[in-house]
Amino acid sequence: MASGSEEGTELETEDIDKSIRLTTDVELLKQAWRNEKASPEILKFQADLVQRSKEQIQLMEDTVEDYEGNGTDPLTISLYQMDLDRYQFLLRSYLRTRLQKIEKYTIHISKTEMWNRLSRPEQKFAKRCKDSMEKHLTQSVLSKLPEGYRSILQQSASSDAEDMVPEPQLDTFVFCKSNQYREVVQVGESGDEQFDFAVDGLGVIRYTAIRELVETGKVDLV
Amino acid sequence: MYGRRGTQLLKELSSCETGQLPALNTDTFDEVIKECKAHSSEVQSLTGKIQEEGLDLATTRNADYFGAAIHHYSIIRNKRCLMAYMYNRAEIIQSLRWKVGRILPQEISVKLNHSEEEYFKNHSSALESYMSDLELDLTVDMVPPKDPYIKVRVLDDIGTLLLSDQSPNLARHSIHFLKRTDAEQFISQGLMEELSD
Repeated sequence: MASGSEEGTELETEDIDKSIRLTTDVELLKQAWRNEKASPEILKFQADLVQRSKEQIQLMEDTVEDYEGNGTDPLTISLYQMDLDRYQFLLRSYLRTRLQKIEKYTIHISKTEMWNRLSRPEQKFAKRCKDSMEKHLTQSVLSKLPEGYRSILQQSASSDAEDMVPEPQLDTFVFCKSNQYREVVQVGESGDEQFDFAVDGLGVIRYTAIRELVETGKVDLV
Repeated sequence: MYGRRGTQLLKELSSCETGQLPALNTDTFDEVIKECKAHSSEVQSLTGKIQEEGLDLATTRNADYFGAAIHHYSIIRNKRCLMAYMYNRAEIIQSLRWKVGRILPQEISVKLNHSEEEYFKNHSSALESYMSDLELDLTVDMVPPKDPYIKVRVLDDIGTLLLSDQSPNLARHSIHFLKRTDAEQFISQGLMEELSD
């Protein structure tokens, strides 16, 4: 009886530990980074998280400097330094991954509601990217083509739609994990099949089927 | 065959190793442009002929119409090829900013045309202004860090430099134990190489 209750408390502390671990900024940034890396489209910019991370990195840098100044054990410093390096890599890689997506789909992003997912500096970057790419392509290809074929968005003046804009391929397959809740997702072409996520369940599924769940944070990409 | 030359350009690009930039093939490029112009005048003369015969352009489906259509689609195909050629080259040029930094080495810049060089400059200044907005250099830390320090061999005389934690004399062929973030910029410029254990 006694041992049973002990087990119960152990489990509980484990759960609490886990939930604490999941809410630290490093863990949140890691999650945001993984999602960004794995998703075919650009996700919402985690403005507050990035801001907090930058502040924490600054704090950690100061700590390392202080330790170096007052002669703390080099091994301890090196451990702090390593932690700091990893955090910095995570932040940089997160921002880089986003920039690479912006570079790739700049025209598409600037024409859709995705524009609002970008931070202000990212929007500035996207605009300049788009302008310089358009200028370059116009100079070297489009201006030399016959009249009626000079649009960067359409194949020819007689095309109905803008059929030359690269778009992210949303129906690609992604690995994903449900977060804490149990989720049932409609899959298949007409949505007639169901995919049942258990808690912490892992799945390989088309991105379009879980797109909204990723946005609301119920499902994470891995 | 119409549109073959355009394909040749793309084949040339795709047979290159990924991330490598072949020299711009101006001759073939210009010939494809010339082809487009020839197709365009064909389209015009054929549609003109249809109109001369007093037929409605929107509903006529005779030999001239299909002739014009073939020329029209040939232009579109050539346009797609040319655009893909330039666009994919531009993507490689973009990626060079991350790999070699702001200044392109001579052996790469001779492969670019004027517009591409301009594009590289514009794009890297866009990136730089983004990084200065954020006060964060994104071009370091390209690989996940394992150890804060790495062993490097210096490949060219750099001289004594003030790095973040020491000021070593970086003479040619000397081996140092440097902070990874310090060493990365030299490695990307080809002035140092990382020694693996």
